[in-house]
Amino acid sequence: MNLVLRLAWRNLWRQPRRTWLTTGAMVFSNVLLVFMISLQFGMYRLMIENSLQAFTGHMQVQARGYIDDQKMRQTIPDVASLAGKLREELDSDAVAARATAFALASSEDRSYGIAVFGIEPQFEPRVSSIPGLVRDGRYLESADAAEIVIGTVLARNLRVAVGDELTLIGSGRDGSFAAVVAEVVGIFDSGVAELDRTIAEMPLGLFQDVFYMDGSGHQVVVNAPGLGQVAELRRRVAGLLPEGQDLVVQDWDALLPGLKQAIQADISSAVFMYAVLVVLVAFSVLNTQLMSVLERTHEFGIVLALGLKPGRLGRLVMLETAMMGAIGLFLGALIGGAITAWLGMRGFTMPGMEEMGAKFNLPSRLHPNVTVASLLSGPTVVFVFSLLASVYPALRLRRLRPVEAMRAV
Amino acid sequence: MTAVRCVNLCKTYRQGDQDIKALDHLSMEVEDGGFVCLSSPSGGGKTTLLNAIGGLDKPDSGEVYIAGQRIDNLSKGDLAELRLHRIGFVFQAFNLIPVLTARENVEFVMQVQGVPAADRRQKSLDILEEVGLEGLEDRLPSEMSGGQQQRVAVARAIVSNPALVLADEPTANLDSKTADELIDLFKHLNEHHGTTFIIATHDQRVMAYAKRLVRMLDGRIVEEIEQNAA
Amino acid sequence: MNTLRILTLLAWRNLWRNHRRTLIMLGAVVIGVWAMIFMTALTMGMVNDMIEDSISVLPGHVQVHHPDYLDDPNIANLLPMSDDAIEKKFAPAGFLAWATRIKVPAVISSERESRGVTLLGIEPGREEAMSFVDYDAVEGRFLEGPDDDGLVIGRKLAETLETELGKRVVLMSQDPDNEIADRGFRVVGLFTADVQAYEEQYVFAGKETVQKLLRVGDGVTAIVVLGEDYRNVEPLYEKVSALVDDGVTVSRWTELDTYLGTMLRVMDGFVLVWVIVIFLALSFGLVNTLVMAVFERVREIGLMLALGMKPSSILGQIVIESMMLLVIGLAIGNLLAWATIKPLESGIDVSVVAEGMAMMGAASVLYPQLRIEDVVLANTVVLIMGFLASLSPAWRASRFQPIEAITKVN
Repeated sequence: MNLVLRLAWRNLWRQPRRTWLTTGAMVFSNVLLVFMISLQFGMYRLMIENSLQAFTGHMQVQARGYIDDQKMRQTIPDVASLAGKLREELDSDAVAARATAFALASSEDRSYGIAVFGIEPQFEPRVSSIPGLVRDGRYLESADAAEIVIGTVLARNLRVAVGDELTLIGSGRDGSFAAVVAEVVGIFDSGVAELDRTIAEMPLGLFQDVFYMDGSGHQVVVNAPGLGQVAELRRRVAGLLPEGQDLVVQDWDALLPGLKQAIQADISSAVFMYAVLVVLVAFSVLNTQLMSVLERTHEFGIVLALGLKPGRLGRLVMLETAMMGAIGLFLGALIGGAITAWLGMRGFTMPGMEEMGAKFNLPSRLHPNVTVASLLSGPTVVFVFSLLASVYPALRLRRLRPVEAMRAV
Repeated sequence: MTAVRCVNLCKTYRQGDQDIKALDHLSMEVEDGGFVCLSSPSGGGKTTLLNAIGGLDKPDSGEVYIAGQRIDNLSKGDLAELRLHRIGFVFQAFNLIPVLTARENVEFVMQVQGVPAADRRQKSLDILEEVGLEGLEDRLPSEMSGGQQQRVAVARAIVSNPALVLADEPTANLDSKTADELIDLFKHLNEHHGTTFIIATHDQRVMAYAKRLVRMLDGRIVEEIEQNAA
Repeated sequence: MNTLRILTLLAWRNLWRNHRRTLIMLGAVVIGVWAMIFMTALTMGMVNDMIEDSISVLPGHVQVHHPDYLDDPNIANLLPMSDDAIEKKFAPAGFLAWATRIKVPAVISSERESRGVTLLGIEPGREEAMSFVDYDAVEGRFLEGPDDDGLVIGRKLAETLETELGKRVVLMSQDPDNEIADRGFRVVGLFTADVQAYEEQYVFAGKETVQKLLRVGDGVTAIVVLGEDYRNVEPLYEKVSALVDDGVTVSRWTELDTYLGTMLRVMDGFVLVWVIVIFLALSFGLVNTLVMAVFERVREIGLMLALGMKPSSILGQIVIESMMLLVIGLAIGNLLAWATIKPLESGIDVSVVAEGMAMMGAASVLYPQLRIEDVVLANTVVLIMGFLASLSPAWRASRFQPIEAITKVN
């Protein structure tokens, strides 16, 4: 066996240029793949976390049907105690109750339609990044004070600053007229235009009073320690829901359907590109190995005449390919990993990324993260397809007959 | 007029850790219309001499004159011009361009020289007929026998009327009948066109035909024999 | 030139000496070229749709506003030019389409629900060419004139409000003095849009009706103008700027939707990068093929040099051989791309990722767009880079020494 290995290795280096060019193609593709895949994995994870962290949370308990219709009357009864119970059972503070309504907010000069959220000041910071992003003033503290925090864009549009008053007018749960005057105690800057322009938060207690909620609400937001634990947590929460109230747990995929799909669409187009690269490398390998086999016809003829089986010859060719593939994989992963890691430290940006990033909650500087998966997945596929490409030349060898072969030049 | 004149040529090769004197102060003259055979055992320097005369290789020292013009100090470009226009080559093997037919191989040099298409075509057909390959003009080298290939090579070598034809072991790969036919051809062309032939060989049959036989050993001329005076 | 002809002949015949090798390389080139063009068409098609969508919502390529309006889209920030003055200047200017309109935030209430929306007071006739709404596909009817007093809302909004055609809703907004301005409207039409969010966001009323509602006389908040080519907005921008007074802001669509403006640039760049990357992947194989071909022909190259052919001719021969391969590959690849894109031009259904597309601003049907510029780009890159790639093996071949080459043993 050792002899075969040595033979295969030496055969590769009979034509160093050719071998290097073929492995060069592999290395080139592998470097690209490692970089792009690392970038993508990191980017998707970031996109999801940032989007969810801002406001949506990993999952929400809601009334059945609320996710589609968002009607004021699709409520969760006794929402605060449900949230408290979940906190106890799950032994976690990352659970917060909310209620929401549409209202017209008026300042002295301006009026805008907004979405008002009643939240639990003590627990909301655990499920949303907004409380931590208050730029002027402070976040909400008491459970029922007539206070409100709004986003920077809304503040600008309404022409209000911390300390000013806003009048909110809307409809309560039963359709009756609801109104309140609240003081702007804080202005937040989440960086998400949608949130900064349309959302206002007030204490849940105040909300429930103003909008005649009778203790009910619309959402209980629950966060898991990490994305990986979401599925399991969701099952537990579903099990803890009270009977008879027709409540469901929606995970982030249902809450932000666009997100997963945007990622899927991006993955599909990326996979298409990767596939093209892999195919081109495979062609390169096919060509090389075919030529390499054809020019050794004469010597293979001799070897066969001496008694070696054609199958062994085929395996020799595949072994040669495997060696080239291994070099390509190793070097490609090494160089690709090094470049990606370096860019990961330095941060990586392209013209146009800032505006495009903002739309998807991405920073304007990306830090691609090299993981074992991102490092090896691309190069491994290239390796496998290269091996597949050399099957044809290897098969041709099986049909070789010694006398014919030796007649070749 | 002297077709070729070599004065005091020296050329040394290094092989492994030995110095080999391929040409050792060699001087020689060949007159117009001459038919000279250079013979030596393998490695005796005949190929080196031929290459030096043909402008393929520069001697370390000494001078080479073709038709009175000194050529050993010409640039590569000028040497190429020289080979294109004034010298015809026939090698031992691999004389033809595999992807061109017989006629095209013959036309090849003329085309590079810039001869108009109609002329080329006629000339090549004529010369192929003269070398006895009428009807085989459109065959590829792979479709011809060794002897036929060599004839095409000869046709190509003389078609544009060079001053000199240099042949390096032209019969080495041929059976005796074909070799005889080839040498007959050389003789015919030498007599009818007046082309000077210098043939390097250790084939006895060829040597028997030469007007002058030049024996070489270790880079020197050891004997010159006039024979077969026409 | 005679030499050129024989070089071409040699190059062509040498190409086919080794069928399999040439065909495999050709196959790779064809796939590469096909991928370049196909991917480009898909991408540009998507971007084009996104942009045209956005333009149909803005609408138009160039808009004119009060300088403060873009930051604070309030009715107080009306255009300082009167509707009349605008009419006099813009009507004879020969624009593809233009209109004035009022766009303000408002609240719409049915019996059951209220929602925040954007109220558009428009001149339906003038906006038809620019709008994302297909007037003919509207359930009920669309507005018939700027003085129409009906309201047209999106189907999704109607669902959310639990209202329907013929019913009354109340629209509430502000007048320039910050007083509430409200009025009842009858819903006369329901429109659908590719992007569902538009159906929930926009409500249409006649311009004059809105002007009366908001008590602004004949004021408007924007002039919108449509040009010929969204990629070439400058001339339109200049023309519009010349027609308006100082004291207004003229904006190109790229400034109004920076995301898409940027995306267009980024995608153009991306296409180029993609084409180059593919070619680089191909080039390894190309150089390899040439190197192998040259290697096999060492003796005959030596022969040609010995016969007096110039080294530059040897170089030329190899380069021509390479270019021939590429040209054939390009021809087939282009054809294949055209053949695969044409049938898909009626749309690729990607509704399985519809909401994701919506998030990016695209619709759920992709229309690939084959643009001449992109095809030319791909072909040019392949030809130029192919030429460069073939120089190295060709150069080395031309450097062969005749004697060495002729006497070379394999």
